[in-house]
Amino acid sequence: MTLAQRTLDPRPAHSAPAARPERGHLRLEGVTKRFAGDVNAVSDVNLDLERGKLLGLLGPSGCGKTTTLRMIAGLLPITSGRILVDDDDISLRPPHQRDFGLVFQNYALFPHMTVAENVAFGLDMRRVPKAEARRRVAEALELVRLPGYGERKPREMSGGQQQRVALARALVINPRILLLDEPLSNLDAKLRDEMRREIREIQQRLGITTVFVTHDQVEALTMCDVVGVMSGGRLAQIGTPEDIYERPASLFVADFVGRTNILDCEVLNGHRVRLGDGVYSCAATTIRPGKAKVAIRPHRINLTPHRDRALLSTSTNSAEGRVLRTTYVGDIVQYDIDIGGPTLQVETPTHGRGLAVAVGDKLLCEWRPDDMLVFER
Amino acid sequence: MAVSETSLPLADAPTATARAKVFPVVPVALLAPMMLVNLIAFILPVAQLVRISFLEGSGGVLTDTTTIGNYVDFLTDAYYLSMIWNSVLLAFVVTVLTLLCAYPIAMFLHTVSPRWRNLLFVMTISPLLVSSVVRTYGWMVLLGDQGLVNNMLVGMGLIASPLRLVNNTLGVVIGLVEILMPYMALSLIAGFGRLDASLSEAAASLGAGRLSRFRRVTLPLTLPGVALGCLLCFVLSISSFITPKLLGGGRVFLLATEIYDQAVIQLEWPLAATISVAVLVLFGFALAVYSNVVRRFD
Repeated sequence: MTLAQRTLDPRPAHSAPAARPERGHLRLEGVTKRFAGDVNAVSDVNLDLERGKLLGLLGPSGCGKTTTLRMIAGLLPITSGRILVDDDDISLRPPHQRDFGLVFQNYALFPHMTVAENVAFGLDMRRVPKAEARRRVAEALELVRLPGYGERKPREMSGGQQQRVALARALVINPRILLLDEPLSNLDAKLRDEMRREIREIQQRLGITTVFVTHDQVEALTMCDVVGVMSGGRLAQIGTPEDIYERPASLFVADFVGRTNILDCEVLNGHRVRLGDGVYSCAATTIRPGKAKVAIRPHRINLTPHRDRALLSTSTNSAEGRVLRTTYVGDIVQYDIDIGGPTLQVETPTHGRGLAVAVGDKLLCEWRPDDMLVFER
Repeated sequence: MAVSETSLPLADAPTATARAKVFPVVPVALLAPMMLVNLIAFILPVAQLVRISFLEGSGGVLTDTTTIGNYVDFLTDAYYLSMIWNSVLLAFVVTVLTLLCAYPIAMFLHTVSPRWRNLLFVMTISPLLVSSVVRTYGWMVLLGDQGLVNNMLVGMGLIASPLRLVNNTLGVVIGLVEILMPYMALSLIAGFGRLDASLSEAAASLGAGRLSRFRRVTLPLTLPGVALGCLLCFVLSISSFITPKLLGGGRVFLLATEIYDQAVIQLEWPLAATISVAVLVLFGFALAVYSNVVRRFD
């Protein structure tokens, strides 16, 4: 905490000591982008991001998440709506006057400058005195764990290192808001894991309001305070990672975030559905009786050998099924199980021993009604 | 090393012991036609030129006497020294003006949507489809005392009498700038190809206004293209002959036109060869400056 404050405090030492640099609080009101001739690329996005929080914009490619980020950054003019930082309407302000830090997917380091010159660029633009700039560049490089790399050229560094430099360059100017555009998608899986932790740690340490664009739901769930799932240019749902995962607002969100079984069903009443041959209890629904879809997470289904049937509680759904396929993944085993009509995908963790299940075996699947969510088709 | 050598697709691959000293048949065979053309059409004539420049001539006849007198005459004559200076200065001015005219075009082509880019690109280099002789005659028509430009300016009442736009150095500069622009534009567009749009956006997000972004990011990264375009234009404008001859109206004396006069009209082949070698040396200097700039920025 103290390191971060010292590192990125924009004020010279002689001014009044501040607890922490001023961070913005971001609000989007009905932000819409329409490209010439096209349907809306982004429609009516509303969100209100608290100071110091990390928002993840999650969605498949073409859902408008990057367009939204570019509008926040000022790189794309908005068609209608307003963008506010601390109640200050910045919708029409050009990017270089917004004071936002921006990290790109392809790093966008200046290839003709050294690492130190790259990081110092924003300070140069702000006419920070040379000595102070040098100190802040060194501190920023230390923050991203690249001390002493200042004299290198970007092309002499690995992808992960380049992304750290890009992060240092965005942070050294003490931006009001940090914007990250798929910063991890060019890195390999192991490095991505490491950078994920690191970005989150730095973000929390600096308390900087951050918007993070990603198509990777693990990134969104593990890093973010708030996740906004986008689809077709709209914000399909916004909430905590737990909200998004446990209480998806739509079939799209349920399907896009995490693995899930999506099955055709028939709603019988507010808490019962027919699925294949069986009738099961589901989470309370307001959907009128008739055809609908049901979502169940594979790992929320328990498998028990058939003979244990007597142990079942009456409040749990259970279905007898036949194993069609088993897939060993390492940390889990996936089973495709025919429960008389629909096929359920079930995941169980491996413990080194586990059930001795073979294709064709009969098993009992059990799941709680709350894990069975009903959606409009 | 061994891998690349063994991978040569040789039909009559020798035994393993001889493998290390295989003659690179395929690369040499592929290069041979161009090497032959270069030998006959470039290296031998230049060698011949250098030889003639060291021969003594008398009254249009080459003798067998070897001399450095041609160079002494050429380099001690104030007339020729000022001609070298004028040629270099003209080429320099033409190069700078061409750069200033072509850079915005290349920058625009870089940012325009891909749908229009190809069409505009073809339009930019389409003047190359018309011979520079024809284009030069076109400029004579446009720039003459009764030409379109002067008639328009006089008609609009902006000037009382026609401007002297042709048969002088100004006319040569105007003609050369237009004729060389496609080459400059081509080089610059190649240079812009390396410029990622996100770099300029990153600079903007860091607080750089339009001018700073251009000065700190766009310009330095497109400098290799600028250097290439300048080299091309400088060399082409020093060696251009038809445009100065026609638009200069016999009043602009440059190295290229002088070579023609000496070789064809005066039949002073040794002097013509000497001036040609001097021009080659100038090209060598330009090339050295170019590689220096490129090395520094790459």
